[in-house]
Amino acid sequence: MTETAFRRMNDLPSTHLLGGGTAMCAGCGGLQAIQEVYDVLGKNTVFVNAAGCMTLLSIYPFTPFRGSWLYTAMASAPAGAQGVRDALDILVEKGRIPPEENVQVVVLTGDGAAYGMGVSATSGAIDRNLDFLYICYDNEGYGNTGQQYSEATPHAARTATSSGPRGYPGYKKDLFSIWAAHRPAYVATVIGAEPLDLARKIETAARVRGPRLILALAPCPTGWDFEPRDTIEIGRLAVRTGVWPLKECVDGQVVHTKVRRPRLPVEEYLKRQGRFEHLFAPERKPEILDEIQARVDAYWQRVE
Amino acid sequence: MYCIRLHGRGGQGMKTASRILGSAFFEEGFEVQDAPRYGAERRGAPIFAYVRAARRPILERGIIRRPDLVVVADETLVPVSAAGVVQGVGPYTVLLIHSAEAPAVWKRRLKLGGEVFTLPVAPEDRADVPLIGASCAGAAARLVGEISRDALEEAIRSELVGMRAEVVAENLERALGAYDRLAPHAGCVREGDAEGVGPFESPDWIDLPFEDARISAPDIHAGGTSVQVRTGLWRTMRPLIDLEHCHRCAWVCSTFCPDGAIRVDDAGAPQIDYDHCKGCLVCVAVCPPHAIHAIPEEQAADAAAAENAA
Ligand SMILES: Cc1ncc(C[n+]2csc(CCOP(=O)(O)OP(=O)(O)O)c2C)c(N)n1
Ligand code: SF4
Ligand SMILES: [Mg+2]
Repeated sequence: MTETAFRRMNDLPSTHLLGGGTAMCAGCGGLQAIQEVYDVLGKNTVFVNAAGCMTLLSIYPFTPFRGSWLYTAMASAPAGAQGVRDALDILVEKGRIPPEENVQVVVLTGDGAAYGMGVSATSGAIDRNLDFLYICYDNEGYGNTGQQYSEATPHAARTATSSGPRGYPGYKKDLFSIWAAHRPAYVATVIGAEPLDLARKIETAARVRGPRLILALAPCPTGWDFEPRDTIEIGRLAVRTGVWPLKECVDGQVVHTKVRRPRLPVEEYLKRQGRFEHLFAPERKPEILDEIQARVDAYWQRVE
Repeated sequence: MYCIRLHGRGGQGMKTASRILGSAFFEEGFEVQDAPRYGAERRGAPIFAYVRAARRPILERGIIRRPDLVVVADETLVPVSAAGVVQGVGPYTVLLIHSAEAPAVWKRRLKLGGEVFTLPVAPEDRADVPLIGASCAGAAARLVGEISRDALEEAIRSELVGMRAEVVAENLERALGAYDRLAPHAGCVREGDAEGVGPFESPDWIDLPFEDARISAPDIHAGGTSVQVRTGLWRTMRPLIDLEHCHRCAWVCSTFCPDGAIRVDDAGAPQIDYDHCKGCLVCVAVCPPHAIHAIPEEQAADAAAAENAA
């Protein structure tokens, strides 16, 4: 990373741009990350928001944003962003809006849209080299409709549609690599519990042009079943156990921005969440726990 | 037909309570409707659910306007107008409320004609504990008087299927405990009249003139209007900052507050915006010198009243 305005924690903003009074759950990790993101991005932004929990940010006539916001169907936010970007370009070119109104186009969606329904529209937009920033808050399921599994759901988690004794049988899709394979301008993972790392990445993302992804793991007290007050702790554990690697990709080069040594056992993260409770009670399921640990270890072995 | 309305906050188990009551009525051979009222409800936000039960087909639909029994999981909801706790309450409506205060106090305060019963708040009950729903369901079942202990137990087992045995046992204990405690009052809820079209009152419609799309489209023309929504009303616990112990780290609680409800003043002191703080208590968990603690919202209200009186 080059020049940054965020060298120390004290450089982080202490007053906040996003308005209060939104309908997210108490302790929502997605909202917590968006707060931090918005403070750095600023109000010269237009959010294109696909259906999901964050659609409830703006409920007529209330909005927490200082700038514009637009709602799209779940699969089409990048297409919506294309329309907004094209309109802005034309208006600027014709001199019908001053250059300072030429705002940053930001797509905001959950993982259901980003990893699943919206992948086709996203791939097309990256292919067209659309100048947009995609922010995905990843709560690892279809949160707004009651936490059904999505392609971002981790192995063995209980969801509304994976309630058996072994939880979700699939594995979390690697969206970071799918994006990186398109060779976009910038891809990074973040988490609200690591605000300095997040602020620097948003700063970088805001500076470059072209397709950019910020993928934020979003601890969700409601869907993951933990106490709202533990949102930050769960986020920190995701990083300290190596479950959620913090990294970025520029020009095809992947760099890990925070490497924890030694890593905590993944159990420390899993056992704090009701969605993994069945791995510990009524009896421990060592084969599943070992598999999850082995996959995390294998990832870091490739990195280190 | 019995018309029962249940009020609580997202996370307190009132939706489950409505389903337990519904299933228990069904076990007893009633026709039943039970449904939670959905909207943008979130954990901590006011929600309600309702149950209709009759020994005939139920043709009524929609929310219950004239309840025979109102069940309130959380007394902090009463003053919240959006929660609509006393809406349509008539001279025979029975109120069942979780509260440390006496029934007579509630009767006077809300000017109620019908009977009031309180369920004690156990000290270990933090407001978001779903067990509150179980005691509400058990108590309501007894007040109605048509539901046997066995039917209640069967309903709980069938609604909680898939949960851990200890969780089911705890819920049963709470529900049956409340059921037994209210034995002297069995059957005090009276079946209301059918909701015919007769007493229908048309809503307070506001007639709007036809406007063109620039005005009539749901566009919002100003930023930050969400601050008009007082999500502080969701709170059951209130975080308090002890400024003597605060290290003025200047960013920790303020950055981690999901709702951006903590700002830091020029002197580096954090201040909580109680109009919007939802009481998630993330700040209590992250404050390095533990300078933030939480007290129940009722206590905070009492303290404020005492201060005003002094
Ligand atoms: C095409 C389509 N299918 C289903 C829905 C219903 N729906 C609304 S929000 C939502 C969940 C979205 O999940 P995600 O993108 O992960 O966002 P989250 O709710 O978790 O914030 C669904 C399924 C929809 N709006 N559009
Ligand atoms: S369901 Fe989860 S992601 Fe959605 S608002 Fe609630 S905490 Fe946030
Ligand atoms: Mg999601």
